[in-house]
Amino acid sequence: MATYEFDAIVIGSGISGGWAAKELCEKGMKVLMLERGRMVEHREDYITEGKGPWQLPYRGTLPAAEVERDHVMSKWGGAASTASTHFFNNDRLNPIDFENSKPFRWVRPAQVGGKSLIWSRVALRWGPNDFEANKRDGHGSPWPISYDEVAPWYSYVETYAGIAGAKDGLPQLPDGEFQKPHPMNAAEIWVKDRLEKAMPDRKLISTRTANMTEDKPEQGRARCQDRNMCARGCSFGAYFSTQAVTLPAARKTGNLTLLSDKVVTNLEYDPKTKRVTGVRTLDANTQEEKIYSSRIVFLCASAMASTQILLNSKLLGSERSFADASGMLGHYIMDHVFRTYFWGTVPDKELDPYIAYGRRPNGVYIPRFRNLNGRQDPDADFVRGYGMQGAAGRNPATPGGFGKAMKEGMRAYGPWTIRFTAFAECLPYKDNTLSLNPGKLDRFGVPLAVFNVTFRENEMRMMRDAAQQGETMMKAASLVDVGSANEEHVPGDAIHEMGGACMGADPRTSVVNRWSQAHDAANLFITDGSQMASTNCVNPSMTFMALTARAADHAVKLVKAGTI
Amino acid sequence: MSLLDRRGLLTGAAAILGVELAAPLARALAAEAAPGFSASHAAFTADQRMLVAAVSERIVPTTDTPGAIAAGVPAFMEMMIADWYEPTDRQEFMDGLGLLEGYAWIQFEKPFAGLVPEEQDHVLTLAMTGRIAALSASFFEHFRQLVLLGYYTSEIGCKQERVYVPVPGRYDGKYPYAEVRRVFSS
Repeated sequence: MATYEFDAIVIGSGISGGWAAKELCEKGMKVLMLERGRMVEHREDYITEGKGPWQLPYRGTLPAAEVERDHVMSKWGGAASTASTHFFNNDRLNPIDFENSKPFRWVRPAQVGGKSLIWSRVALRWGPNDFEANKRDGHGSPWPISYDEVAPWYSYVETYAGIAGAKDGLPQLPDGEFQKPHPMNAAEIWVKDRLEKAMPDRKLISTRTANMTEDKPEQGRARCQDRNMCARGCSFGAYFSTQAVTLPAARKTGNLTLLSDKVVTNLEYDPKTKRVTGVRTLDANTQEEKIYSSRIVFLCASAMASTQILLNSKLLGSERSFADASGMLGHYIMDHVFRTYFWGTVPDKELDPYIAYGRRPNGVYIPRFRNLNGRQDPDADFVRGYGMQGAAGRNPATPGGFGKAMKEGMRAYGPWTIRFTAFAECLPYKDNTLSLNPGKLDRFGVPLAVFNVTFRENEMRMMRDAAQQGETMMKAASLVDVGSANEEHVPGDAIHEMGGACMGADPRTSVVNRWSQAHDAANLFITDGSQMASTNCVNPSMTFMALTARAADHAVKLVKAGTI
Repeated sequence: MSLLDRRGLLTGAAAILGVELAAPLARALAAEAAPGFSASHAAFTADQRMLVAAVSERIVPTTDTPGAIAAGVPAFMEMMIADWYEPTDRQEFMDGLGLLEGYAWIQFEKPFAGLVPEEQDHVLTLAMTGRIAALSASFFEHFRQLVLLGYYTSEIGCKQERVYVPVPGRYDGKYPYAEVRRVFSS
């Protein structure tokens, strides 16, 4: 029997890696967690938290030259704000490549906690229909799991993470284990009342969010204080992050070893036993090489990074990855489509006396209303659907001119306006790929990731429909100055990148099985966004959490049974 | 007290104490010496500095709350021009300053900063409406926006002109404006 340094290695410390470490540690496994970014400790390393604009470099906006030099992609995630630049990748030092100049925006974090520190915290479940979509319309690989199998795991992670939301009773967006919702403001309630009356199949709900509305003293976490400075880190621990939630739980067991600044280049594999035998790392600062070994490995480096690591894990004497017997590794790269907006203004003078006190961390959401329950809407020229995220608010008035009158004019507010962004499902296309460029190596000797991803006609039709439907809804809700816009839709932009190591029942057409376990290596579990066989239209993080906790539970059962 | 003065004070304190600075002091010192808090090099001449200060104060004057100069807007603008602007934008701004000052000399035989407020407002109104030869109205708008950015992101702008609530602790989406009659800064 082989001996191992660790029972489990978790690669990555973001939303998925954090859950893997917590669950495996709590089940008694000795866990090594590897993170390529630098260490960020809860509270003490939130260096911009609580600061006013005058306390931030350049009052909050990085000079354009620096943005273009170092953050040409991560600027799309917020790196241009000096309040959170330090939480984002330096794209100059960590370049990527593009096939035929097809654009892709890979927004990457740079620290322990990964994107869990900087995510938008929208916390939605998939519905039963979403797990059936691939099978029904024939796109991508059919999901081998159903909503009913995942539902208890949604409940499990929601309960621990602390999700605020209302029980809205919508079949396309199942309710979960919620704390009380964040309140809507006067204008959102105004719009909701009119929209739902005029168009009864449309719902406007408080966005379910991983910002707590109730304390969790047992976790040392307090409810949201309505500062809306989440992307700087939160010392109240009010929103779900690795630092506030999963890392303390994993550390509490005494079973966790966490190493930051460890870049995983590839996995070592033994074709005879069909097992991953080691995880090769380079120290990000010293380039020192070290290979760690464990009984099981959880790959949670992010959808694109996990796929890149797998592609770079070749069978001896082959150009083929050990995890690619199916030929599907690196295929079906997806992201949500989201650069479609619509808006309107509340004409009602009744709301003029009111403004908002506090800065809420969420907004409102219009759940999917197209092609529901497996039925195709007769007037829809696309399959699947989209949801819409928005918020109402009032900006300060903007009088022109100068002097005393202008200064006093700026003490007033403009009208209440509401603005939405549509998030549409992207179909799984086999020829949307991530591959490696062996001719270009990064500073760690890893071949650059090459992106070859485009949105197609179905996505564009959905976005056109979303803009039209959006304007129709704004008008139906009696709003004025209604408008909509479509900007260029660039894959990766939504930072909901998924796919590359898709789940499926058939080892000939998928990379992981129903337990997120690699078909080609029984001791390897790939539980981040790379396992996704489709994207649905809702924000994906809760599903990554649920599938990770589920996979960890299954993996430990297999270890205890002596199977792996 | 300007950032430069404060930095000098802190450096001086370290020398006087002859000890390592306490962590909060050291952090303050490090923060304000860092890029983005004060100009890394002079972008303006002394005359230009007077001009920028005078214009900024007419745009956001001292009223029942402090104006642009008290809020440190001129130093903020110099930092932005020196370290944030792209060279072409910087040049455009500097050219505009020259034209504005030139107009004051031609019409009043004085620098802009030496005019009485009514004269200054008259010149700025002409600049705003594009009635100064060769000076595009966009220069005034550009200047104005830079002043507003500097003022409403300053400590005085956030805390005295606007209402600063760093930890609201709750959200009320139907809060009476009459309770504050001001804008909440964020």
